[in-house]
Amino acid sequence: MAKVHEITIWTRGVTMDKEGRDIATAIGNAAHEEGKHVQFFDNYEDLPDRVLVTTRKYVRISDEEIEHKYVYTNDYPEVVIIAEPTIIKGIDVLRGMSPGGTLIINSHRDIDYLLKFIPNKDLLGTVATLDADAISGIKTVDFSGSEGGVDTAGVGGGMAAAMAGAFAKVTGMVKKETLAKIVKDVAGMEKGYAEVQVRKLR
Amino acid sequence: MSEKLPGYGTITVPVDRAVPFGAVTPAPVLQQELFFTSNWRIVRPVIDDEKCTRCLTCYIACPDSCWAYNEEADEMVWNAQFCKGCQVCIQQCPTEALTPQAELDFEDGVVWLEKPF
Repeated sequence: MAKVHEITIWTRGVTMDKEGRDIATAIGNAAHEEGKHVQFFDNYEDLPDRVLVTTRKYVRISDEEIEHKYVYTNDYPEVVIIAEPTIIKGIDVLRGMSPGGTLIINSHRDIDYLLKFIPNKDLLGTVATLDADAISGIKTVDFSGSEGGVDTAGVGGGMAAAMAGAFAKVTGMVKKETLAKIVKDVAGMEKGYAEVQVRKLR
Repeated sequence: MSEKLPGYGTITVPVDRAVPFGAVTPAPVLQQELFFTSNWRIVRPVIDDEKCTRCLTCYIACPDSCWAYNEEADEMVWNAQFCKGCQVCIQQCPTEALTPQAELDFEDGVVWLEKPF
């Protein structure tokens, strides 16, 4: 079986649920468009979410068919995206990560300051920050598209577009051009791609 | 893990079937040492002791009793481990003694749970 790239997105329940889901949907759809085998879904463990509770969204990308269909958590994430930076104070977000992983945080703060809150930061190969809230400022509260429903609100209308752009720049797993076909806020996505601050730690 | 339950004799719970933290807690206590919800918080209420009149509106307004009054020291005590940052106290404070401040501005209050809950 080919390597499955596991991507976990941490977000806040209800108030930022749609944005977190949009990051997963945008990345997943873009990778699918590029001919990869893809799975992306809400977390089952953290549901039902409540306001501000930390919840996860998952994406899996592989060159071959993904065989673990009925596993609904990413136990070994390669990339972790934090949609709301305070989450790093409350949760071991790097749990299960192999050394050399990537962390992308939506924050205006300094990378060194944020790393202070991550005791197992030795695992990280790359850390990136992007002030996605400043780029978009929109946090859609909408439940369309949740739990497998049809998304009528559209994907990537808020800060999720910028975060997806940052993901494309940092990891290179999807192309910016493919993302542009999927997200609503293409300008925000381009800005996220251009403005993300990347630091290699190893 | 073996426990004596009143009227029900003794039950033995295997370790792998034991419930996660927070499911069974001693009560009533002011702070459940087994249950942390402070990682829900994005914003922290910060009290200005000069402006505070000890009217206890925050104590009444807080849905989770995170504000208490320490009579001996004459000060308001905030429960950092349980406050979810809902900001009701900030909205209700009549003298504007409470102000919201980003939780990431503070280096204390790190909970760092393995799993969300």
